[in-house]
Amino acid sequence: MQLFFQDLVNGILTGGILALVALGFSLVWGIMNIINLAHGTFIMLGAYVTYQLFVSFHLDPFLCIPIAFVVLFALGYVTQLSIINYVVRAPVLTTFLLTFGLSLLLENVILLIWTGDTRSVTTGYSGAHLDVGGITIPLVKLLTLVIALAIGGLTQLWLARTKLGRAIRATSMDVGAAQLTGVRVAHVYAIVFALSAGLAGAAGSLISVSYAFSPSSATPFLIKGFIVCVLGGLGSVQGALVGGLVYGIVETFASQYIGAGYADAVALAVLLVILVFRPTGIMGRATA
Amino acid sequence: MIGIAGNRVAILVAALAMLALLFVPLAKSDYTNALFRGILMYGAMSYGWNVIGGYTGYVSFGNVVFFGIGAYAAALLATHGITDIGLSIVAAMVAAALFAVVLGIPVLRLQGHYFGIATLSIALAAQDLISNIDAFGATNGLSPKAATLFGAAVPYVVTYYAMWVVCALALAGTYAVSRSRLGYALVAIRENEGAAAVLGINPTKYKVIAWAISGMMGGGAGAVFVYANSYIDPATAFAVDNNVFPIVMALLGGVGTVAGPLLGAFILTAINETLWNHFPFIHTLFFGAVIVIVVLFLPRGLLALIAARRSWSLYVQHLRAYRV
Amino acid sequence: MNGEFLRIDEVGMRFGGLRALDGVSFDVERGTVLGLIGPNGSGKTTLMNVISGVYKPSAGSVRFKGTAIASLPSYEVCNIGIARTFQIVRPFANLTVLENVAVGSMFGRDRKPTHEAFERAEALLETVGLARVARRPASDLTIPDRKRLEVAKALALDPEVLLLDEVMAGLNATEVDEALELLRAVNARGVTLIVVEHLMKAIMAISRTIVVLVEGRKIAEGSPAEIAASPQVIEAYLGARFAQRQRQ
Repeated sequence: MQLFFQDLVNGILTGGILALVALGFSLVWGIMNIINLAHGTFIMLGAYVTYQLFVSFHLDPFLCIPIAFVVLFALGYVTQLSIINYVVRAPVLTTFLLTFGLSLLLENVILLIWTGDTRSVTTGYSGAHLDVGGITIPLVKLLTLVIALAIGGLTQLWLARTKLGRAIRATSMDVGAAQLTGVRVAHVYAIVFALSAGLAGAAGSLISVSYAFSPSSATPFLIKGFIVCVLGGLGSVQGALVGGLVYGIVETFASQYIGAGYADAVALAVLLVILVFRPTGIMGRATA
Repeated sequence: MIGIAGNRVAILVAALAMLALLFVPLAKSDYTNALFRGILMYGAMSYGWNVIGGYTGYVSFGNVVFFGIGAYAAALLATHGITDIGLSIVAAMVAAALFAVVLGIPVLRLQGHYFGIATLSIALAAQDLISNIDAFGATNGLSPKAATLFGAAVPYVVTYYAMWVVCALALAGTYAVSRSRLGYALVAIRENEGAAAVLGINPTKYKVIAWAISGMMGGGAGAVFVYANSYIDPATAFAVDNNVFPIVMALLGGVGTVAGPLLGAFILTAINETLWNHFPFIHTLFFGAVIVIVVLFLPRGLLALIAARRSWSLYVQHLRAYRV
Repeated sequence: MNGEFLRIDEVGMRFGGLRALDGVSFDVERGTVLGLIGPNGSGKTTLMNVISGVYKPSAGSVRFKGTAIASLPSYEVCNIGIARTFQIVRPFANLTVLENVAVGSMFGRDRKPTHEAFERAEALLETVGLARVARRPASDLTIPDRKRLEVAKALALDPEVLLLDEVMAGLNATEVDEALELLRAVNARGVTLIVVEHLMKAIMAISRTIVVLVEGRKIAEGSPAEIAASPQVIEAYLGARFAQRQRQ
């Protein structure tokens, strides 16, 4: 029973970060109908930015979150306006291949700068943990969960309360109608893509504290982000949160009872089982 | 232009190029043999991707599993004493096709984004699984003995000819598909699956057939690779390059054409070879850039560029087409 | 009497809370032309989708020559001889006009080998008046030509029943006459037609029987003359007040 609750807690802690991994991915997918295969690489960039700041300036990784956010936000904005904007309305084949190419390109930039070695950010408090009734809660992971939830909440508030946020939601419902009411769609898309990249950067910062990472960690995070979206639905903060927690728990129990070496196979199995029964996802909506 | 095979002149050139490739071993250079065997290998894999991604419009990011399965099928046979290279190719093709059918029935129901991500995770999961199974040598891999043919030992250069056969079969198979009802069914599915269904085309059936053919092409290449490389492990079999190169080659040459993949294999191998010699670390970066540029400016590949007279205005036009 | 040919029996279709079709029943005789009319959103296209197997009905059954077809996928419905066109045309954009039609001939009931399919497609394009653009990509066609292409593709399947969903929308008067001519010729060859159309003049001219749908229910069925005189139909179409005024 002790073990069960320990796994449950670990699952929830993992789920928080997965929710943040998925949130940006979900926004771009839900609002622009683009699957950004470079999202995993954006996350890794965030992790490496944090790593570099930590190594060079001994900056606390949690303080790096805003910096990673801003750096990736800028990269996302430029990418959208210079590349993605030209294929926004193109068929899936096109956007898919384009973002795939982009992810290869960025992954190799990371390789050139930071090499393929596995890295991690180890702070003075990395080993600290709370002990609640025999259940161990690593401090860093708890903090990560709290920050991930806070970022999700802020995003939600921003989408709901600001003028730009409302323009974004209007665009996601009906591009044509939004355009007619004076929304500058190209600008909205650029902001959405930038926000998505920024959130990926923040997620990367948080990941760098809890996990060891290398450039090739990008694809597993991308796939997990996708699974979370399929579980929780697209384009909403709540969906990403629910999906993230559910998948975090599933993954933790699977690695406990099946074996950690099978993580990718378990992810595939979960994905296939869901999609076979609901080919467009659990909260799925028809996409053209 | 009639037909879904693409430019006839280009097909003729591709066929002649294949014939010319038969004479490469006369140079008696191990380097040249290896280089051109690479073109043939990626050519066959690119043809495999082209059947499902190009003709059927289902963008697979997991076709490397067929190469991996073919490679492991041949290596396993070899550990059981069967080293006949012809038999290995056939067995690898059958294994890959079976896998494509079993996996395709659930996965090919998925469309667009869902199919792409599912195939991407298949590639990861396959590597995962094989790395954990001792019978496949786990992460240590397998080293088969040298190839034989009809019970007799054969020189190493036979791996070149074997790869040639696999690539020639892939080219010929693609041409046959493009001339058949099957080919039109696949293209109809690509263009509009719902409209294809009301014309009496069973989408699931044809998609599974397409993926099985796709699998056979990749599987055959994998079997020969094992003998050429005399070693296979999960990291080699499921390498990212083996997943990416065939896609980029088909894209560059022209998706959904008969000549495109071979043309793409030639050009990309040439560029890659140059890059390797001068800048060994950035070749994948370069491939990423090629994908971005080709998707933006040359969505129909180089073959279309050669065919179109007013080419440049055409590409500017294309750039404008999907913008907001 | 040639027995039961195509029977729509108590067909219902729900989309979430919306009832798109509710207990719709009627028979279609072999060789007839049945017109299906109703205001926008009355369920005509939904019914077409049910008959052609694109949707599975939530209630009721569709029987074709004694076989229940409501649960069949659309490619099997097509293979037993029921073809359709789409209101929103769906040509295979990257194929030529000729290839679009030839694909129909390769599958459907005929399953012709490719070269024969192309020969038949040439002939069909002649029939529908598209021979001049046979070798152009389908994406180049104008809207009226795309409608013609839809009809040619459906005819290529050599169907016993042809469902036509607004093939005359957007055509001018001459083109409508040509289309009616074509449909009569098709019907004369023994193909049963079910025609959905907004253009009253055309539907009155060609139909032998007319079924009227309003809000997913069948409110009338009869000959064109009976339908034109039916107060219920006039009310549904032109509003209660107009019907009252006419009665006075």
